[in-house]
Amino acid sequence: MNGLFIGMGLIIAGGVAAALVRSPKRAVLLIGASALAQLCILPVVSRVLLGGAPLTVSLHFAGPVGTALLLLDPLTAFFILIISIGGLLAAVYSHSYMQMYALKPQYSLGGYYVFMSLLIVAMMLVTLVQNMLLFLIVWEIMSLSSFFLVSFENDKEHVRRAALYYFTAMQIGVAFLIIGFAWAAWLSGEPNFAALHTIRATNSSAATIIFILLFLGFGTKAGFLPMHTWLPLAHPAAPSGVSAMMSGIMIKTGIYGMLRIILSLGLPADWLAYLVFSGGLFAGLLGVMNAIGQHDLKRLLAFHSIENIGIIGMGIGLGMIGMVHHLPFLTLAGYLGALLHVFNHFTFKSLLFYGAGAVYANTHTLSLEKLGGLMHTMPFTSALFFLASMAISGLPLFNGFISEFAIYIGLAKGVTTGHALLDLTAITGMSGLAFIGVMAVICFTKVFGVVFQGESRSTPAHPLPEVSASFLLPMFFLAGLIIFTGLAAPLVLPVMKPAVFQFAADADVYAQLEHIYLQLSRVLWLFGGLTLFFILLRTMILRRKKIAQFKTWDCGYQAATPRMQYTASSYASSFQELIGKALPVQKHLQQPDGLFPETASFESHSEDLVERFLVRPLVQTLQGFLRVFSWIQSGRTQHYILYGLIFLILLIVWIIGVRS
Amino acid sequence: MKILFTLFVYLIAPFLLIGLVNKAKALWAGRRGAPVRQPWFDLVKLLRKGEIISRTTSFVFRLAPPINVAAAVLAVLLVPLPRQQALLHFPGDFVLFAYTLGLARFMLVAAAMDTGSSFEGMGAAREVTFASIVEPAFFILLGTLALVTGDTSFADIFRSLNYSAGYTVLVKSLGTIVLFIMLLAEGSRVPVDDPNTHLELTMIHEVMILDYSGPDLAFMHYAAWLKSVVVITLLANLVAPSGIGPAGGFLFFSALFVILAFSVAAVESLMARLRMSHVPQFIFLMTALAITAFVVVLFFRYGRI
Repeated sequence: MNGLFIGMGLIIAGGVAAALVRSPKRAVLLIGASALAQLCILPVVSRVLLGGAPLTVSLHFAGPVGTALLLLDPLTAFFILIISIGGLLAAVYSHSYMQMYALKPQYSLGGYYVFMSLLIVAMMLVTLVQNMLLFLIVWEIMSLSSFFLVSFENDKEHVRRAALYYFTAMQIGVAFLIIGFAWAAWLSGEPNFAALHTIRATNSSAATIIFILLFLGFGTKAGFLPMHTWLPLAHPAAPSGVSAMMSGIMIKTGIYGMLRIILSLGLPADWLAYLVFSGGLFAGLLGVMNAIGQHDLKRLLAFHSIENIGIIGMGIGLGMIGMVHHLPFLTLAGYLGALLHVFNHFTFKSLLFYGAGAVYANTHTLSLEKLGGLMHTMPFTSALFFLASMAISGLPLFNGFISEFAIYIGLAKGVTTGHALLDLTAITGMSGLAFIGVMAVICFTKVFGVVFQGESRSTPAHPLPEVSASFLLPMFFLAGLIIFTGLAAPLVLPVMKPAVFQFAADADVYAQLEHIYLQLSRVLWLFGGLTLFFILLRTMILRRKKIAQFKTWDCGYQAATPRMQYTASSYASSFQELIGKALPVQKHLQQPDGLFPETASFESHSEDLVERFLVRPLVQTLQGFLRVFSWIQSGRTQHYILYGLIFLILLIVWIIGVRS
Repeated sequence: MKILFTLFVYLIAPFLLIGLVNKAKALWAGRRGAPVRQPWFDLVKLLRKGEIISRTTSFVFRLAPPINVAAAVLAVLLVPLPRQQALLHFPGDFVLFAYTLGLARFMLVAAAMDTGSSFEGMGAAREVTFASIVEPAFFILLGTLALVTGDTSFADIFRSLNYSAGYTVLVKSLGTIVLFIMLLAEGSRVPVDDPNTHLELTMIHEVMILDYSGPDLAFMHYAAWLKSVVVITLLANLVAPSGIGPAGGFLFFSALFVILAFSVAAVESLMARLRMSHVPQFIFLMTALAITAFVVVLFFRYGRI
């Protein structure tokens, strides 16, 4: 495991070095260090991932931590692989993206690179550490370093607000974790995760509550329903490289936590499986429904993260259901789908956020209603964004389909096993997943159509050409991964085998799955071949023909302007009318007034149901209660010193008087 | 037989369907109508022509026609001839079937958005909105059939359907209506969409391909017609009686094909296109019937709901 530690050290060193050097090219230091770190990390990780013996390191700490176990098993190796590659890509991307802040002294680029390297290493440690207390410490380092990255543009009010919201959400999440872990450690008497399963045998009701507490805590990080409300605020506020890293990698550490708990604690109650599955389904539906109503590109993508975490949750839930009913096919298909989707979501969501960043770097806006026609000035970014849009919609030939197919086939198999509840769940799940897929198609045809296709809605003075290579390089790499996973599923499945086998080691059933995927892949290759054939056929037919270029058919109207194009709101409106109250749209209308109206405006935006009916009332109630204590916060330094003094005196009195 | 059937579906059925529907509609209205072969002539004529392509468009606009055809061609290969194995089959093939059609829809809609025309945007928005009702209903129906039969691939499901319990008659009849509505919705027929309309504001499918001309338009038409034939094949699979051989299956399919063509024409002659805001209600009928079928199955299997 030494290679892993050397790699982590290199990344930190690179981040610190990039902070110390004051050059516009300082990101090169972090990139170089990360690239070197790959050479150290990847051999170790891939050996374990492919089924090598798990590696352990035991550390002894004085004080409450005690013996801390660091474990590199296939599951951890899978996550570290994603973190390691994703970190490098984010560093490469930041090299160019952060140039727009280089000349503004109010932004601390040095801090950016330090916290970025810290975040990468903290995420790796989160997946390694098995000791509960040490886990909480590295978990907090991860949350804090990402908090500083989110608050990078802290001179803007909305960024500060988003960063604080994120910080609060993370603290609430970690509070669940602290209670859960403290209770678990107290019951099992052991500081490491491995001992958790003893609780299930001795005290199953406590185990159930601990399970729920930990799932709530990890769910907050993952953006799982109903703790997802920080995502649509934090992702748009952060610089795009950070958004990609947070959405593509960091929220997956929450998924990792859930999987680790399932592995170590087991399933204390059967109904939890159905709860997780339906939670995932609702998160998926709600996430994509909300995404359709958004007008800010990165906010929209953040809602899609909620959707995809929901799909991963469906996979985990399916796997748990398989464990409950002892159906290894469901277990393997569910966890395979979940893990594959973790990887796939990393590829296409990072690519989408990088694309959004490229759009922002060139146009300085992310508002869908102002963009348009970027296809003509940014052909590479557009094509890559198009690819990722198809992948995230789960369409065949791309990787999103591969992971969703595992969940589908698991559900289809679940229908045939003869449990009434499972039948109901599976069919609801299948049609729900189909609904999620169609809504993703609606959303991404909207985004792509409005941002990249057609004509520009606001004519910029100097339309900028395509972004530089350092923007495009990570995007091309991710696009390669998307296509590879989409077409070479039979090569990917053996790699996933050791990690999935940690949940249920059934070689026969996995061979069945592999066989299904082999058949699927053959058909996909045939489809690819057919597509190529018909593209060639079209070219052949048109080769000798006269092709005239003309403007778009305007139906006889001669004075069409780009502003008359279908906008994001108009595209989404027919669907919004259909689903009605599930997606409340708020309208702000200022009507023209009087004979000579001066101003008139109309604005509409959709609202998250959970935010409106759960989070906001809860926060308001809490605020009402806490206001009682507001007199304590006087804002004067002297008073706070006095509080400290009183506390110290009370402490001394307690130690001297009470304890002795 | 399988090869022969596939060739029939590719080369004759799409044109025959449109030709028959148009002929039947004309006769109903008291006209003589174009010959049944007319769609062939139209397509050949389009393939010979040159093209006008909008300056606003990009590679998406050029890729959409071939990909649509490829998707429809693949969909045909995944659906079996009644009482036979499909050319391509594996567990969960119906998922790939639905998603392949989804990919075609994505390209079609993206191509419509590519022109920057608000009419085409309008058509695209309607297309995806209605699709969002059709696809979940399709999965409820297929899930129910999988529940009845215990199989997870098209051919196995349809084969086992006949050897299942008596209540499958109920499931079959409900499924027939579901698939017929799917035929009207996916085939862009009245009352969902009107293929004959000439007012852009009221169109769905036709308006999305408004900027296509020449061979590209031929590709688009062919893909759309083929998709309708695929849905008819599914319907034939669902209702075909057991014990008919491959030849019998082919005959059965042909008979049903003609009946359905006339049914579509009858619907088109007897009623007008629904108001846009009422179309979702009509398609929701699919969902309602599919759920009913599912509840029926649950009731008969477990004796309670």
